[in-house]
Amino acid sequence: MNLLGKKKRAQSWFDERFGISGIVKFLREKKIPQHKHSLWYYTGSAIMLFFVIQVITGFMLVFYYNPTLAEANKSVGRIMTEIPMGWIIRSIHSWSSSFMIAFVFIHLLSIWITKAYRKPRELTWMSGVFLLCVTLAFGFTGYLLPWDDLSLSATKVGTDIPRSIPIVGVWVTKLLRGGEDVTGDTLTRFFGFHVCILPVFIFILLAVHVYLIQKQGMSLPLAVESKKEKIQELPFWPNFVYRESVVWLILLGILFTVAIFLPPSLDKSADLMAPAPEGIRPEWYFLFLFQALKIFPAKILFINGDTFIVILILVEFLLFFFLPFLDNKPAEMKGKFITFLAYVTIVYAVVMTVWSLL
Amino acid sequence: MKLKYSLFTRRQFLNGLFGGWLGALMVSFLYPVIKFVFPPTREPDQVILPFLDFKDMKPNSVKVFSWGSKPGFVKKNKNGSYWAFVAVCTHLDCNVTYIPEQRKFFCACHDGWYDENGTNIGGPPPRPLRRLILIIEGEDLIIKREGVK
Ligand code: FES
Repeated sequence: MNLLGKKKRAQSWFDERFGISGIVKFLREKKIPQHKHSLWYYTGSAIMLFFVIQVITGFMLVFYYNPTLAEANKSVGRIMTEIPMGWIIRSIHSWSSSFMIAFVFIHLLSIWITKAYRKPRELTWMSGVFLLCVTLAFGFTGYLLPWDDLSLSATKVGTDIPRSIPIVGVWVTKLLRGGEDVTGDTLTRFFGFHVCILPVFIFILLAVHVYLIQKQGMSLPLAVESKKEKIQELPFWPNFVYRESVVWLILLGILFTVAIFLPPSLDKSADLMAPAPEGIRPEWYFLFLFQALKIFPAKILFINGDTFIVILILVEFLLFFFLPFLDNKPAEMKGKFITFLAYVTIVYAVVMTVWSLL
Repeated sequence: MKLKYSLFTRRQFLNGLFGGWLGALMVSFLYPVIKFVFPPTREPDQVILPFLDFKDMKPNSVKVFSWGSKPGFVKKNKNGSYWAFVAVCTHLDCNVTYIPEQRKFFCACHDGWYDENGTNIGGPPPRPLRRLILIIEGEDLIIKREGVK
């Protein structure tokens, strides 16, 4: 029997057991619509790219990192100075997280503005909002792990914010910190969140999210959908995947360049008894929140400024989460207004971020 | 006595019974889990420090001590009296610092200010710094939580 015949045989042997021919067929026939907004279709796979990089570099860092009070900062120092290529692995992990979060924001905003969450894609959007939360949680927990002065203060503030939620808040803070205060237990716990608990959540959510996208196909922008004429389509395999690869290569180039030339710093080990250092600030994606905490007065209408902010954030989150249901008349005034709100959000976030940097 | 009509069928009754049993089982599993994830951390009732360490402090200055897992300040006032504070901002928990030249406490996290008595005077802090009771007994400096005998 010739080689080709053997390959066929092996394929059918596996297919009999796995039944993957359906998936292969599906991917062969999958089509990606082409129109003037199709650029946004690439943001999802860009997030995937950075996510995979995070997983791989994360596996590597965990070989040397020690999540304890005495060793955390030292072990990161060791990665940066002693381990061959350690500095670049950490730098890529740190930069790739920023890139991933940036693309998550772009992805979400593009969906908001093109209203891709319209029926029947409500659940895709909701799983996406959860993915956003998990991604930010990854960023927040990861920020503490090098255990320097900056990360300690950021964690103290960040874990104290939920305390203002009525009733459950105190318990949330305790759960996050592993006690009343931020201590070595908090560090170990954050490590557990970062490498055990959050990964489980993100894989489950990703599976749901990607499945829903495959099931429903790509969403069309309203304007394109309402036109009766037939739109152009591009086969997913190989045309679209090749185009995506071009995007990936460009992004990889940018990522490696910044990772090599701007590696993250490492300050001296955090001291639980030392005052907060001047010029503390969180990662860039929390700056808008940081600035809000700074400028809100101690009391607004008899309640604490930060309680006010927390309640505001919770309400905004709920509205955001249920956006597909609120935006049920996309073509009318209401729909236009909701799109307008997306732009307001962008302007607000940019202004607050820039302000916090001044 | 045998009832003529029953409110639910035998199947419903058994489902309810098993469902309730399963629910109770789950709750009994949950209890130790919840207990486990919240470790017992209590603030100390008091700490006792050697007064010798604080005797030579300059007036209008502070010295750090460990109040459980957070910092505390022993402050020597201008008139030579001693006070104790929990050196943690009442806004969002950052450790504060004392600036003797301005006679103010400062929190770098969101620019919070307190005067030398610990009263919040600027920025987001909603309350004054927490005072602790300080007693000098012979060689000992005893620092207590308010309300502890
Ligand atoms: S934590 Fe001190 S001002 Fe916010």
